[in-house]
Amino acid sequence: MNNFLRRMIRSPQGALGMLLVGLILVVVVIGPAVAPHDPEIFSPLLRYKDPSPEFWLGTDQYGRDILSRLLYGARATVVMAVFATGLGTLVGAFIGTTSAYLGGRSDEIIMRTVDAVMSIPSLLLALLIVTLLGKSSTNALLAIAIAFTPGMARVTRSVALTVRKQDYVNAAIARGESPLFVVWREMLPNVVAPIVVETTVRVAFAVMLFATLSFLGLGAQPPAPEWGLMVSEARRYMHLSVWMLLWPALAVAWVAIGFNLLGDGLRDALNPRT
Amino acid sequence: MPSIPAPDLTMPPILDIAGYCLDYATPTGFKRALDNVTLHIAKGEVLGLVGESGSGKTSLAWAIMRHLPASAREAGRIALTDKDLLTASSSEIDAIRGARIGMVFQDPSTSLNPTLPLGEQLAEVLVRHRRLTRRQAWSEGESLLAKVGLKTPAAMMHRYPHEASGGEKQRVVIATAFACQPECIIFDEPTTALDVITAGEILDLFAELQAETGVASIYISHDLALVSNVCNRVAVIHHGKLVEQGPIRSVFTAPTHPYTRGLLAAVPQPDQRLVEMPLDTTSKALLEVENISVRYGKKPFLGRLLGRKNTQFAGNHAINLSVQPGEILGIVGESGSGKSTLAKALTGLNPFEGEIRFGGRPVRGLKDMDTAYRRDVQLIFQHPDSSLNPRQRIHEILSRPLVLYGEGRAADASRIAEMLEQVRLPASYADRYPHQLSGGEKQRVAIARAFASRPRLVICDEITSSLDVSVQASVIEILVDLQRLHGTGYLFITHDLNLVRQIAHRIAVMYRGELVELIAAADIATSAKHDYTRALISAVPIPLTGRHRP
Repeated sequence: MNNFLRRMIRSPQGALGMLLVGLILVVVVIGPAVAPHDPEIFSPLLRYKDPSPEFWLGTDQYGRDILSRLLYGARATVVMAVFATGLGTLVGAFIGTTSAYLGGRSDEIIMRTVDAVMSIPSLLLALLIVTLLGKSSTNALLAIAIAFTPGMARVTRSVALTVRKQDYVNAAIARGESPLFVVWREMLPNVVAPIVVETTVRVAFAVMLFATLSFLGLGAQPPAPEWGLMVSEARRYMHLSVWMLLWPALAVAWVAIGFNLLGDGLRDALNPRT
Repeated sequence: MPSIPAPDLTMPPILDIAGYCLDYATPTGFKRALDNVTLHIAKGEVLGLVGESGSGKTSLAWAIMRHLPASAREAGRIALTDKDLLTASSSEIDAIRGARIGMVFQDPSTSLNPTLPLGEQLAEVLVRHRRLTRRQAWSEGESLLAKVGLKTPAAMMHRYPHEASGGEKQRVVIATAFACQPECIIFDEPTTALDVITAGEILDLFAELQAETGVASIYISHDLALVSNVCNRVAVIHHGKLVEQGPIRSVFTAPTHPYTRGLLAAVPQPDQRLVEMPLDTTSKALLEVENISVRYGKKPFLGRLLGRKNTQFAGNHAINLSVQPGEILGIVGESGSGKSTLAKALTGLNPFEGEIRFGGRPVRGLKDMDTAYRRDVQLIFQHPDSSLNPRQRIHEILSRPLVLYGEGRAADASRIAEMLEQVRLPASYADRYPHQLSGGEKQRVAIARAFASRPRLVICDEITSSLDVSVQASVIEILVDLQRLHGTGYLFITHDLNLVRQIAHRIAVMYRGELVELIAAADIATSAKHDYTRALISAVPIPLTGRHRP
């Protein structure tokens, strides 16, 4: 583990990614505790303020402190994105590994179905699902998880196919192990590394997708301090204060870049050949 | 085997390596790969460089070729005639490489570019180093291919690597190496990837070209029997140090270094039995295989509707054999002859047609392979790296069969320690991961796993072929001990005829998916009937050592 961390820090992407994601995690954990103001309290006299010693990042159209809203919103935005990706990854990895294990005609049927789902752009698919299920954060999470599943299934299957040919899988089958044991205990642990990398990269996508859904009014609902929603609301008041658009947009970018870099770093660190 | 003429040792050496040291930079500091290596190779001489994997023999080859990774640090001297290669500029090296030093690699299927025709790759060398025009190079290439014994050189020039057999490809690689009449050629295990008979032909070709051109050759190999047949001098390398070098005869008959002695003792001697011969043939057969056929490829469902021909490929064709309780039945044959296919069919990894009778009970397909059958028939794989799950600790790997076959005793630590002890591994290995073990140790864990359920038949699929010769000897010793202890029957699949003649009671010879001969191990050298068996026996190099020389 120590060695792994060292490899991680040695690559510039890994070090920077870890720093950015680390800061995000700190905000997620202690954000609400350190927020200087209540994120949902209206102050009609303090609207559209520029950054100042009292409101570090300024205030929005209702006079709410943007910094506090960002700090509170980190939980809603990042945690939701991580959950959505995690769920999509888990389901996708299981489908991909099972498909690779079964092989032959079953593999063909599963993968063609996955291809069909994949041909729908993930945003469109998410929109469709949210429209069907109704507007809410939970449904948006579910929609993103479902939208990510086919892609993860594909990535996992390609890795699992090489694992399938390994003799320890043959040994388990020859020993008479149940298919579920072979998939869970023999194959899945060996496809984890590429999946972890893929997942971190996808967290960034999920944040953006989540922000997009909220921006379109299909994810988090006002007055939740969700970052995408904040951008969406700020759009109308851009000419009064550019800050209220800029900060949440930067926060989304921060998370996206951080997780992307972390993914790059992980890819190098988990691959012993580099 | 052809003999190599004695070289003229009064001439100055072609290749002169003096006090050469090589270190690789690793995260934990420099690691020594070669330590103070001193070697001379004269014109017309063949030097065998022998060592186990990781001993540094390939590093030395790359050092001579001047193709080392950036992490290498060198000291000493490597000189080709008078030119010091260590101080030569990269453009000088470019002119030397391929023209004055050639190299023949282990696996011809990876050393040739799959996207270029063979002729293109051969002509390229001639254009580059002998300044021929493309047309001249092409015709010169054809004559070179004719020289290396290819039947249709003109057609071969236009073929792609995948359209030629392994032996043909290696001939092309050899032709490329000899193309510019180099002074020195490095052969890095040139026959390891080929099957025995093709390898024999390549060795004949090697001896012929060697005698004709008088090139100074370094022949890298782990196969001592082979080296004793093709080289006139041998250097034994161990952990990057040359422990012994000298003329073949003196090193092989009177080795001075203990490492060389150990290495030579580990070489399988076909006439030295390791297993007692008498076998109880009166009792009922343990395993009977009747007309087993395995076909690869999908059943052409659509094709049949459209009236297309069945394009399935037969991996095994109507195999019949039987194994007595406690018998070691050797199965030999070249790669692709269907040995592993049979092993997989017997363990339910391949669907098959025909009937298996195990202890009298018929098994006609996967459905009949119940827990009792699985427990009694165990399979050990060729590559221990891939047969042990890298994410599971040894105790987890070993406890699996115990859990699965519901043995009376629980899979506790003492049981695991017992299993490890049986294969002569310390109990402390239980908490390790496979990657913390050496290849031989991993294979012993695989053996322990197979024996966990007290099987009556163990199928060993080339289990020693990825191991070094001394490790192989220790693994074989364990197998023989276990056989004596438990009376287990073995199906011992291998391509090493010398080895199988030591331990098997009977030997089955397979060729192109068919079982061509089944003969008692003692009789194989004298009364083999099938042509292929005879060809196989004559192609296998017999080790030359002091203990028994013809």
